[in-house]
Amino acid sequence: MRAGPLHIRALHIKKYTEEHELVNFDDATGVGIVSITDHAQSVLGDVVFVELPTVGTTFNQGDQIGAVESVKAASDIYAPVSGTIEAINENLSGEPGLLNKSAEDKGWLCKIKLSDPAELDKLLTWEDYKKTYVE
Amino acid sequence: MRQWQTGRRVLTRLQPQNARLGIIHSLASHSRHKQSFQTLSTVSQTLEHKGLNESLTPEHAIYVSSSTDPLFNLTLEDWLFRNAPRSSPLLLIYRDSPCVIIGRNQNPWTEVNFPALRAVGTSFVRRRSGGGTVYHDLGNTNFSIHLPQSSFDRRATGNVILGAVRSLGIDAQLNDRNDICVGPYKISYPSRFFVISQSSRGPTRTENRRSSTHLSHCFTQNHLSPLPPVLMFVCSNYVSGSAYKIANKRSYHHGTMLISTKLNDLGELLRPQESNIVTKGVSSVRSPVSNLQLSNPSTTHETFTSAVVDAFRKEYRVHSGICMVEDTEDIKNMEYIRNGMAELSTWEWAFGQTPEFSRTLNKTFPWGEVSVEIRSKHGIILDCALEFKNAQINSTTTIQVAKKCKSFCVGQRYGFLREAPEDTQDTGFSEYPTSGSRPAEWVVPTQDTKSWLLGTLQ
Repeated sequence: MRAGPLHIRALHIKKYTEEHELVNFDDATGVGIVSITDHAQSVLGDVVFVELPTVGTTFNQGDQIGAVESVKAASDIYAPVSGTIEAINENLSGEPGLLNKSAEDKGWLCKIKLSDPAELDKLLTWEDYKKTYVE
Repeated sequence: MRQWQTGRRVLTRLQPQNARLGIIHSLASHSRHKQSFQTLSTVSQTLEHKGLNESLTPEHAIYVSSSTDPLFNLTLEDWLFRNAPRSSPLLLIYRDSPCVIIGRNQNPWTEVNFPALRAVGTSFVRRRSGGGTVYHDLGNTNFSIHLPQSSFDRRATGNVILGAVRSLGIDAQLNDRNDICVGPYKISYPSRFFVISQSSRGPTRTENRRSSTHLSHCFTQNHLSPLPPVLMFVCSNYVSGSAYKIANKRSYHHGTMLISTKLNDLGELLRPQESNIVTKGVSSVRSPVSNLQLSNPSTTHETFTSAVVDAFRKEYRVHSGICMVEDTEDIKNMEYIRNGMAELSTWEWAFGQTPEFSRTLNKTFPWGEVSVEIRSKHGIILDCALEFKNAQINSTTTIQVAKKCKSFCVGQRYGFLREAPEDTQDTGFSEYPTSGSRPAEWVVPTQDTKSWLLGTLQ
C-alpha cells in the first residue's frame, strides 16, 4: 500500500461499515477520520446530542466509541478500525446539527491513528455499502 | 453504528444459551398472578404452559414483567433488545415503583427536583435510550415494542397503542409526535401538571422552564383562568410519551401510559429547583398530562396490558402466549442483568453521563456581592470562576478568595460537594492566633463562599 520513493501524493481511502460508519484514511499520516454516513444522518433525523470518546483512548475494531441521539432515537457508534483517538470534533458538542448539515465532512466525529491499516480491507467500498440499504 | 450498547462497555454480551436458570412462567401456571391478570387470561387464546424453573430466554414474542424495580425492568428491556431474534416482533410490558427516569443525554439538575425526590424517597434513574424525562409509579404502565428495522414504523407502533386505548372505549388520537392524546383541550379539563415527554434541541435555561411551570401552576389553581400562552400550541392532553432506539437491524419504541399516576407527585418531582443552568444535551418539553382513568374509570394496569397484548397480536399476527418474568435472584444473577442493573446505579452512569453545563450563582455577603460561574463536564466541576461586586475587601484579597474557592471546587462532583478533610486545616488561622492579630482578610470571605457553595451544591 505505502508508496515507494516516488510517492508524490497521499492516498485517501474511504471505506464504510454496514453500521453506517465511514473512515477516510490518509495513507501519509496513518490517521483515519471517522464519520457517520449521510444516509445514516438522514435516517436518524435531527441530531440533538453526540457522545464522543476521549482523546488518547485506544479502541479495537467494533468497540463502541460514542453515540448519537436524534429526535427519533439513540444509536451507538462503533470503531470502524482499531487504533487510538487523536482528536475529536469539539464543534459537535455545541452544534450537534452539524451531523445533519455535513455528516461526512464538517460533522466528522473523531480521528483515529490506525493500529492496523490492513483492517480497512475488511470494510465495504461505497458501492457495497450502498447495496446494504438500497433495495 | 449498530446494535445499541451502554456507554461504558462494562456489559458483556450474554449468550442466551448461557443464561442461568430463572423462573419464568405463563399466566396459567402461577396462581399468584392468576387473579391480577384474570382479564389477560381470558383474552389470551394461546397461553403457554411452562414449568416454574425455566431460564429466561429471548425467544418469546410477548413478555410481561411482574417486577416493579426500574433497574431490573430497564435492564430486562435492554437484554431482550439485544438478544431476541432480530426478525421477530417483541412486546414487553412492565410497571415501576415510583421513580423519575431521565433520558440518556439529559442533565438531571435541570430536569429533577432533587430536594423533593429525597424528601419522598423516590429513586432517580438515567435510562439508556434518548428523549426526555418521565415519572413512573404503579399508576402508569410501560410498553416496549421491538421490531426489525425494515418493518419499523413509528406511526405503526403508535397505532398499536392507540388501538389498545380505543378498545378500552377511550376516544384517543395520535399527535404528530406519536404521543397519544385524549380529548380536545379544554380549560375545564383537569389536566393539572406537566409531563416531559419529548426531546428538543439546543441549550436551555432552567429559568424559562420555571416560568412555564409557574404558569401551569396558576392554571391548576383556577381551571377557569385563561389558557397560558405557553400552552397555546398544545392541543390535547398527553396520556403517553415515547422514546425510540434504532440499532442497525432492530429498533424499539417504548413509552409510558398514564392510567392512575399521582399527577401531583409527577408535577412536583419534575420541577427542578436549580436556576441559571445553561446545559448542552437534550432538554425535555413539558406537556399537560392526564390519566386514562379520567376517561374510563375502569381502566387498570391489567385491562390496559391485556388490550396492548391483543392489539400487538393483531398488528403483527402473533399468536403466542405471554411470558411472565419475575425478578428472581436467579434471573437477577444472570451476568448481563446483574452488570446492567449495577451500571445503572453507579454515579458514573447516573450523574457522570451528564453533558457539559454551566451554572451561575449570586450571593450578597456583608463584605460584598459574589458571582460564581461553575462549569461541569461528566458531572465533575472543571472550573469555578468568582467575580466580586461592591466588595469591602481589597483586590489582592479577592484574588486569594477566588483562588481558594476554585481549588476547593474543581475536581469535585457537582451536586455532591464535600468539605475536603485537608480543607479544614486550610483556614488561614495559622497566620494570626499566635500573634493575637486578626485573621487574614481572605479568611472570612472564603469561608462564607465555601459554606454557601456547600449548602447549594450538595
